Amino acid sequence: MASKREELEIYWNKINYAYPILNDTLFTDCSDAEYEDIQQIIVGLGVQIKIRDLILVHTEKYFRQHVASSFWSKFIKTDEEVKGFQLFKSAVNDLYEAMASFSPMITRLTILNNSCCDNKPIYGERDVMSGIKQLLRATLLSQLPLDFQVIINHFYKVSFNVFDNAEYENSDMGEDVMCSGCWNEYSDCNCSYIVKVFHDTNRKLVELTLLERLTGQVLTNFIQQRIELHIQKLCTGTFDVSHISFLENWLDTTVMSWLTRIYCAGSSKPHRVDKDIQNAVSKFKQKLSYSLYHIYTKLRIDQLFNIIIVYPDSQPAVDDIKLCLDKTDLRATLCKKLQNALETRLLHPGVNTPDILTAYISAIRALRHLDPSGVILETVTKPVRNYLRNREDTVRSVVSSLTEEGAGSELAEELAKFAAETDDELEKEEDWDNWMPDPKDADPKVNGNDRKANDIISMLVNVYGSKELFVNEYRTLLADRLLAQSVINTEKEIRYLELLKLRFGESQLHFCEVMLKDVSDSKRINALIQQDKNFESLNNKFSSNAMILSAQFWPPFKDESLELPDEIKQHFEAYTKSYEALKGNRTLNWKPHLGNVNIEIEIGEKKLDLTVSPFNATLIMHFQTKPEWSLEELHQIMKVPLIILRRKITYWQSLGIISEKSTDNYVLVEGSDGNKSSCSTNQVQEMICEDEESESVMASAHDQREGELQVFWSYIVGMLTNLDSLPLERIHQMLKMFASQAPGTECSLQELRQFLDTKVRTHQLVLQAGMYKLPKT
Amino acid sequence: MKVTVKSWTGVATWRWIANDDNCGICRMPFDSCCPDCKLPGDDCPLVWGACSHCFHIHCIVKWLHSQPQQQCPMCRQDWKFNNK
Repeated sequence: MASKREELEIYWNKINYAYPILNDTLFTDCSDAEYEDIQQIIVGLGVQIKIRDLILVHTEKYFRQHVASSFWSKFIKTDEEVKGFQLFKSAVNDLYEAMASFSPMITRLTILNNSCCDNKPIYGERDVMSGIKQLLRATLLSQLPLDFQVIINHFYKVSFNVFDNAEYENSDMGEDVMCSGCWNEYSDCNCSYIVKVFHDTNRKLVELTLLERLTGQVLTNFIQQRIELHIQKLCTGTFDVSHISFLENWLDTTVMSWLTRIYCAGSSKPHRVDKDIQNAVSKFKQKLSYSLYHIYTKLRIDQLFNIIIVYPDSQPAVDDIKLCLDKTDLRATLCKKLQNALETRLLHPGVNTPDILTAYISAIRALRHLDPSGVILETVTKPVRNYLRNREDTVRSVVSSLTEEGAGSELAEELAKFAAETDDELEKEEDWDNWMPDPKDADPKVNGNDRKANDIISMLVNVYGSKELFVNEYRTLLADRLLAQSVINTEKEIRYLELLKLRFGESQLHFCEVMLKDVSDSKRINALIQQDKNFESLNNKFSSNAMILSAQFWPPFKDESLELPDEIKQHFEAYTKSYEALKGNRTLNWKPHLGNVNIEIEIGEKKLDLTVSPFNATLIMHFQTKPEWSLEELHQIMKVPLIILRRKITYWQSLGIISEKSTDNYVLVEGSDGNKSSCSTNQVQEMICEDEESESVMASAHDQREGELQVFWSYIVGMLTNLDSLPLERIHQMLKMFASQAPGTECSLQELRQFLDTKVRTHQLVLQAGMYKLPKT
Repeated sequence: MKVTVKSWTGVATWRWIANDDNCGICRMPFDSCCPDCKLPGDDCPLVWGACSHCFHIHCIVKWLHSQPQQQCPMCRQDWKFNNK
């Protein structure tokens, strides 16, 4: 019994000798030959399974108490990158050495395990080696300290710096004393040391299968940061270069080869054999290229407003965004950000309407390029359209830029382009092969084709939803231009008119056509009348021409009265007679305040050559007969309201020809007085001045509308005579019922209220308790 | 001071000398053109009948073509062009 016990004691000591781990140490002199005996003993006793499990339990304890704690104790939070680098390196080294000291034991354990024949997996793994590694990993990670990433981050930062620097080494071999890789002086640059340590450490981590688990997150974060930095360095301020292929290349070469080296411990090409590494690297690459696109697109979206403003030049940037938008999920962000940018930078009273229009136009162009379906454009520019609708001078700005020539008038170019493009449209429609569904954020109520078909001009016109407003505005502008210019470039105007006709349709612009014909007809009639014998004698003094207009086709003129000097009146009467002779049964109604006059004024030595309005000409001609006039006298003779007289006489005052002696008394500044003025040298001076007035001679749109509403007045008077008093709504309803055939009948309740209010103000109506009444006579 | 007018460009609107504003057939103003025309004035002149009523020439010709008897649509007298 005792000998049996002693025997067992000896066996146990021998087992302890072979597996010192059972006493929590690792050192033993046990050789392979000795172990074979011990193995036999264990098998002989039939306790191999029990012994194996006991060893595993002790190994786990040893890992937990010694290996893990000494590994993590190196992870001290530090700000110094180099220190972090060293710490991580030594921690990994120690761990690796600790693992190495296990290796004889593992060999023995493997033999032991093979003799167990129970096929029980060790920590979920088939063979002992991977089981132990799994155990180590589990133990280490169960004790993960809070800031372990700091150290790892330092480690990779230092090494990436060196690496990144090596890529560009040729380019920045300047006079730097510092090596930009390791921030040491060149003399003791330890880049190569860092690279060596780096690869070594990574190899050890790979062998311990700890690399991914320990450093994966840190590495991803870190590389993302690097990508962001790199993109920001590369892409700020320039929109005229496409960066995306360059960035992809950078990711492929610099970042990926660095990553491959980490995984493959130094060699830049992955081993073809190792599927796991290849998989890991390609997974990593997918993640990284997504974040590359994401970061780049975000950056570009922040700059999108500026990109749009310089659009045709920034096309590469737009192309990049277009490409990236398909790969990332940033459509919604783009819409929101751009909308905000537009609102803060464009849609406030400090911006001129033409500037808003320019921005809107380039936004249309850029966004149409970015998203051919037009959905982004529609979403983003909605606030712009709403805002433009509220600006009074939008239509005028659009129309004038449509007809402007030269640089900066993109709309005019667009108009000309449209004419050239109309022919190709039909072919495009049947392109089934390239059909694309609408993006998911599209408004299902709107037909996709409508969105695409809209070009820039129709987008602008659609701000208001009707062509009519634009055509009317164009007519007014054209009328102003035709009347203001003494020499009219009819050909140019006709060309524009033809272009506009293509766009707005023949019928809408028919009036303008007549206007242009009036101008050319007038030229011919003038020429004919100049030849008239009766007229010739008069014309010896000065030549008189006329613009003969078809009143029905021109926008209504502002009504202004002006009594011309007799001399001029005679002229016009003679002209009318000639005209009547020329065109049977037709006569002329003169608009005395319109037109322009070329006069020469001689004051002493001074000679002025001026082109002025008929009003100014008449005024100065009166001063020729009498040097001093009171405002009242002028009013009597010219039949012009006092206010207008006072305002317009300032033109001559500004020229220093007339001065205000006392209130409302004007006197001619004659010879000697004139010499005192600034321009009174003895030389004869020829001055050519333009009349400063440039206000429109046409009735404003508001006045025109008022005129249209006047149609209703007779209906309203009839209604109120019969029914005594009516509320606004009733009047509106009755008008809709009875007067809907009259022109301009789309009269909203609001317009009607305004119209009736003006009538109340002029005492043609009485408003009592919400009811309109005719005043009692 | 001496003011010399070198040239004076005035602006005038033309109108037909007629005893009404609108054409009795198409109800358009005389100074405008008949519905079939684009340009007023010389291209769409007025004509007077012996009864002193006047119309756009295109309007009255169309009217006369569509009627069995040649009558003025205003006064039902026989229509004769008055070439005054």
